[in-house]
Amino acid sequence: MKNHKLTNAVLTAEKIIKDEGLTLPIDLSALANRHNIILQPKPEENHGVSGMLIRYGESFTIAYSTYIKSTGFQRFSIAHEFGHYFLPSHPENVFQNGKSIHESHAGFCSSNQIELEADHFASGLLMPKHLFSKELRKFADGLTAIENLAEICKTSLVASAIRYVGLTDAAVTIIISSGNLVEYSFSSSAMYKIKGYTHLRKGVAIPRNTLTYSFHQNRSKIERSERASEDTDLMHWFDTDEEITANEEVIGLGAYGKTLTVITADATENNDDEINEDWDEPRFKK
Amino acid sequence: MNDSDDRIFAKRLREAREKLRGMTQTQLSEKSGLPSTSISHFENVDGTRKPSFDNLRRLAKALEVTTDFLLGRTDEPTGGAVNEELYRNVQLLTDADKQFAQDMIKQMIERNQEKDKK
Repeated sequence: MKNHKLTNAVLTAEKIIKDEGLTLPIDLSALANRHNIILQPKPEENHGVSGMLIRYGESFTIAYSTYIKSTGFQRFSIAHEFGHYFLPSHPENVFQNGKSIHESHAGFCSSNQIELEADHFASGLLMPKHLFSKELRKFADGLTAIENLAEICKTSLVASAIRYVGLTDAAVTIIISSGNLVEYSFSSSAMYKIKGYTHLRKGVAIPRNTLTYSFHQNRSKIERSERASEDTDLMHWFDTDEEITANEEVIGLGAYGKTLTVITADATENNDDEINEDWDEPRFKK
Repeated sequence: MNDSDDRIFAKRLREAREKLRGMTQTQLSEKSGLPSTSISHFENVDGTRKPSFDNLRRLAKALEVTTDFLLGRTDEPTGGAVNEELYRNVQLLTDADKQFAQDMIKQMIERNQEKDKK
């Protein structure tokens, strides 16, 4: 079942971008200035939470962590806090019992509805559909598109990949894995339409004899953010009814031992009129 | 806000608009920049439409009251809520984060005081 509140969170963010006439990369400082919100980086040595929305009367400050150097991570943390400010119903949830501070732990894995809504808002704010889709069409499908979009939007590779599969017309799946197990995966609607397609759920083992599997045998490759690419078959990955050639691209995500795998099917003869009821927009959820 | 707080917001909004400022929903809509349908929904005590902080701030500014008044956290239209314990329910914050947040609140208070002087 679709979670309409998550869809609405994305739409709310996209409306703000349209109303304010902002362009990519979204200038979060400008947005904060226009709404009289102070943006304040936390000292590097302060590991703590990724972001906080702090309120005093009519004044608001968004504090964000700088411990993780990634600009994409920091921007997502700020955009997430903007979500708590702009989304309906959040006042009653984030500052309960007279509390003045709301803390957030970013990382695409929250199970709390309010935090999920803020994650989706952040995705829509930094990568609004009307601007993102226009850029998306300029690049070859797969990792090339994701990397370019991340650069254009100043977002992390993973956040960009999740948004990409939600908006591309191509049959693409992205998989975040660690230790040869799937942490989460998202597929585009075109991938879901392929007959027999079986979604890779959390905890499923990465198929042997794949590039991703062999990548996980060499941790230093992951830590050095190396990449590799080779041909594969969708039947091998998703148990599709027919053999469909595809490209498998893997990139190491650094010190945490995770990889991003992008599987892009060669152009297939899909029946585009066929609506797959199982497909749901990617969510920032395990 | 819990269920009764929701009703407080609806009541306070109407009270501030009609009794304190003598404004119509249309006038408040124009002054706050929010659609009058949203204001109508917010004032419905049985409604499900709830405001964002951005909505609250716009409404409070247009009505010249505080968001704390609209939320029922103070009975003074221009008063602020008294936060005796700022960190209630904030178990997840490290001491460093608490200190940082405290410093930010102090800065906001100082900024507000400077604004008031001007």
